[in-house]
Amino acid sequence: MSTKVAIIASNGGLFDAYKVFNIATASAATDAEVAIFFTFEGLNLIHKEAHHQLPLPAGREHFAEGFKNANIPSIPQLVEMAQEMGVKIIACQMTMDVMNLKEEDFIEGIEVGGAVTFLDFAKDANVSLTF
Amino acid sequence: MPEIKADQTLDCKGLACPMPIVRTKKAMDQLQAGQVIEVQATDKGSIADIQGWAKNTGHQYLGTVQEGDLLKHYLRKSTAAEVKEPKKFPHTISNEELKKKLASGEKVKVLDVREPAEYAFNRIPGAKSIPLGELESRMGELTPEDEIHVVCRTGNRSDMACRLLAEKGFKHVKNVEQGMSEWTGPVEQNHEKMEADPL
Repeated sequence: MSTKVAIIASNGGLFDAYKVFNIATASAATDAEVAIFFTFEGLNLIHKEAHHQLPLPAGREHFAEGFKNANIPSIPQLVEMAQEMGVKIIACQMTMDVMNLKEEDFIEGIEVGGAVTFLDFAKDANVSLTF
Repeated sequence: MPEIKADQTLDCKGLACPMPIVRTKKAMDQLQAGQVIEVQATDKGSIADIQGWAKNTGHQYLGTVQEGDLLKHYLRKSTAAEVKEPKKFPHTISNEELKKKLASGEKVKVLDVREPAEYAFNRIPGAKSIPLGELESRMGELTPEDEIHVVCRTGNRSDMACRLLAEKGFKHVKNVEQGMSEWTGPVEQNHEKMEADPL
């Protein structure tokens, strides 16, 4: 059976996004089955508009140039790749209700679910990560 | 330095992690089992990543050649049939026996029927390279009366090669049973700046 990787994304900055999507795409490319549960500020990473302009941490804005120089793919590109390789994206219903967000506010091809949706996937995961 | 032959070359120059891996996966999906891909990358992390990727996906990492900042990684797509098939050729020699023969200084002919990229990274010194797919057309390079020790990675391709040679009148061919995957004797490779799969 293939390796299962379960990731929780609960922060909404650019650094957080790279941590989540780099691990997710690398795992998927290595034939792992991957699911990411996006909750609280993590929802920014799959929000239609927000994921195009994620903030760098305060005082770290100068890294924008570093990302460009190192030829790092953009977050929307990484998200697309992740989805293409079958990474399952789950948005947290409870946070969406708190923030008054609808499924249409997010990129296409996501699932919406509660904590158990994620737990059901994560219960026999080989790798569990929280960002 | 001689080029290492690959069935496909993939350009990942200038790309950062995880792109070389993602591109390699996609390209590998399109290859036929047994084919060799050359992945060109400048990401230094890719040396370790490619090896980890191969280990986890079951493909064969052959090695890496470094040319300045350019890294050329060689991988061979695994075949489902690499789950060992029963070998059919009756005349065999174990790795240990062959190693002893070589060490004794006896003049020993070794024919390596793996892909050129596999041969480039680790081979028995003095072994002649003819990939299994070219054996029939290049048989004229061999002498039917010679005692020839045929080797590949695990003894499967060499088993087929032995049967083919015997059919064509070669009288003294022997299949090296375990093959290069378990070879503990001396080896040589093409260049100095190479990192070979630590078998």
